[in-house]
Amino acid sequence: MATEDARYKQSSQYRLWSFTPSHLATLREKTNTLARTHISNRLRASDSPVDPLPNFLTPDEEYTILNHFTLELLRAAPYCQLPTDIQATAAIFLRRFYLTNSVMTYPPQELIKTCIFFGCKAEGYFIRVQKIADTFPNTTGEMILAAEYVLCQGIRFAFDVRHPFRALEGTVMELRRLGDFDDDRINHAHKRTRDILKFSPLVTDAYFHYTPSQIMYAALAMADEELVQRMLREAFAGQGEEAKAKVWGVIQNCKEMLEKEPPEKMASYWTDPESTKAIKALRRKLIKCRDPDRADLVALQKARREEAVPKPKPKVGSDADEKVFGNGTGEGRDAKRRKVVPEGGDPFGPPL
Amino acid sequence: MAVSPVVVHSTDAPPNPRSLSSPLKTVTSAQASSNGTPVVSTAAPNVVAAAQATSLDLAEQLNEEEKRKYVKGKKLGEGTYANVYLGFLKSDPTKLVAIKKIKIQKEYTEGMAPDAVREIKHLQELSHPNIITLHSVFSSKNQNLNLVLEYLPLGDLEMLIRDVDRVRYGAADIKAWMGMLTRAVWFCHENFVLHRDIKPNNLLIAADGEVKLADFGLARSFSDPYKLMTANVITRWYRPPELLYGAKHYSGAVDIWSVGLVFAELIIRTPYIAGDTEMRQISLICTAIGTPTEENWPGVTKLPAYTTEGEIHPVRGREYYMSFFGTVGTEGVDLLMKTLILDPKKRITALGMLKHEWWNKDPKPTRKQDLPKKSGGQEKIGADLKRRPGVIDDDKTAKVARKLDFGAAK
Repeated sequence: MATEDARYKQSSQYRLWSFTPSHLATLREKTNTLARTHISNRLRASDSPVDPLPNFLTPDEEYTILNHFTLELLRAAPYCQLPTDIQATAAIFLRRFYLTNSVMTYPPQELIKTCIFFGCKAEGYFIRVQKIADTFPNTTGEMILAAEYVLCQGIRFAFDVRHPFRALEGTVMELRRLGDFDDDRINHAHKRTRDILKFSPLVTDAYFHYTPSQIMYAALAMADEELVQRMLREAFAGQGEEAKAKVWGVIQNCKEMLEKEPPEKMASYWTDPESTKAIKALRRKLIKCRDPDRADLVALQKARREEAVPKPKPKVGSDADEKVFGNGTGEGRDAKRRKVVPEGGDPFGPPL
Repeated sequence: MAVSPVVVHSTDAPPNPRSLSSPLKTVTSAQASSNGTPVVSTAAPNVVAAAQATSLDLAEQLNEEEKRKYVKGKKLGEGTYANVYLGFLKSDPTKLVAIKKIKIQKEYTEGMAPDAVREIKHLQELSHPNIITLHSVFSSKNQNLNLVLEYLPLGDLEMLIRDVDRVRYGAADIKAWMGMLTRAVWFCHENFVLHRDIKPNNLLIAADGEVKLADFGLARSFSDPYKLMTANVITRWYRPPELLYGAKHYSGAVDIWSVGLVFAELIIRTPYIAGDTEMRQISLICTAIGTPTEENWPGVTKLPAYTTEGEIHPVRGREYYMSFFGTVGTEGVDLLMKTLILDPKKRITALGMLKHEWWNKDPKPTRKQDLPKKSGGQEKIGADLKRRPGVIDDDKTAKVARKLDFGAAK
């Protein structure tokens, strides 16, 4: 096996975030069921039980909402002046997050901001949270930070996302080197493929099912199929048709997926009456069935932090005695000593 | 000047009574409206209940699964950035791990600390015998990050270098350690990762003697041609001239320079170029290696912080190096000189290093199980891992911490 394949298989993208379509569907159903059960129990246990229970979103409806907010994210990101790969990372974080969390549990309109902020961080682009907050109406830095931890857990601490953009640059160089096509044709395909990559794989499940190079070739095939065939001929020279046919089959499947969401949709989506009407209805439904406790992420974060503060142990005997004599095990005193003396340091501090 | 820290006793605050009662009991007081309007469709929010919720999302379930795989044992070290615990696999108690629990940083107001993000990001992707293994990451209920790392009980290379009285090692041992370091760096670069903080106390030693590169708190991916990077990385003593001159665009060559200085330090058992300021570091490089000029490094005078002071020193020749570093033989000295070439474009690469003839010459590198060891490493792994990655503690004389300005872009 090519060592590049072996190496890709070590990446967190492959280990943690690649699934077969049926596995992906199962995960989405499971997430949806868990959220329904939790919210139902919560509403029934309320002192004035909510009756009847609201209609919950189906996994398909959740997916439609997720796609809507992925588009929102891609629409907002350019206002933060973010490079393409950071936008893409933010979008993939959002989609990964909502695989293990339901849109009924955590509000997606808040999570897109956190995804943009944390996407920057994960790509080593340290931007002030306030700068992102200023881009959105009615948003504070605190709101963005409130979901950061939840997001990190949701994406299973896999902060490295492999994108197909550099692969495209490499292929374009390779095509130029081969010299079989004139520059105009290559340039045209290059631009078109880049436009596709900036949109189509981010609003479909392409990243969950295909490798970056497969996605890149699928997008290139949408732009100019002959160029892909030429590259495959080159890559599989002397290796027989079978391996090549298999790879081409995968690329075609990926292409079919990308074709459902062409980049033109980015512009048409917001004006298409059918889709706007549908999403409006879904958002109304979502407001009725969402987790009442987790819509306010700032308050939730505060509560979680308070939970984290260790509760004082139930005390035996007199409080005052303990203060004077310590608690017998010497624990209290040691703790105090630790506070005063920084490790290895002089208790009176360094020389002036 | 000594500044006494403000101690905030947050734990002394009275406990929140709500958090102690049943999560669902407190929901309603707000809702008991007496104005006759029946409230049916919504329940009043209760974040405390959500924070304590026992039913788990899929994300939380996966997190719990990871957490349950390990048993946390005694504390090996305590620091302001993290605490380190000894741990073991629940399914196999003989398999030890180090659990590094990163504390929430109150003074960093931009959420999760960048060094934690960098460390997790890169260690998740790099799997190699000479790079510390990140077995797992999970969060505890109080939102602390827990990194389950490989247990490396035998301290670090710096301890061995410094303990001149009790630890003896020779050319074959140096060759073995350098081999492991070079393979680690090669693997990082092969995966387009710059480590940017290579130094002896970031090289930890496993129970079987294998050296592992740790502390990825300053690491980053290779930059695209149009994107700038910060020059303010790598501990000063190991920082290459291009970074001291403020280069914003650099390559794997920055790590190779550090590797070269670790090599030199292994031989002479003291840091080779130990400046107490950046200016001093530059002038020491000029005398120990040679003054960078347009002749030996085209374009160097255009770097933002290029300076020279006093006389121009010619680049040192082979004899000079032989007189200091001769114990590793002519080939060893040749390799050392190639890692310390001033112009980063001409400096040897990690792959080039692995292909160098020194490795094939006698003596053969020591087998890892026969390498010199030092006892008392358990406290050391605690001390090494609890450090904030990428920042040097100041008890190690003169190695002043480089402060990264995380606020600025990049």
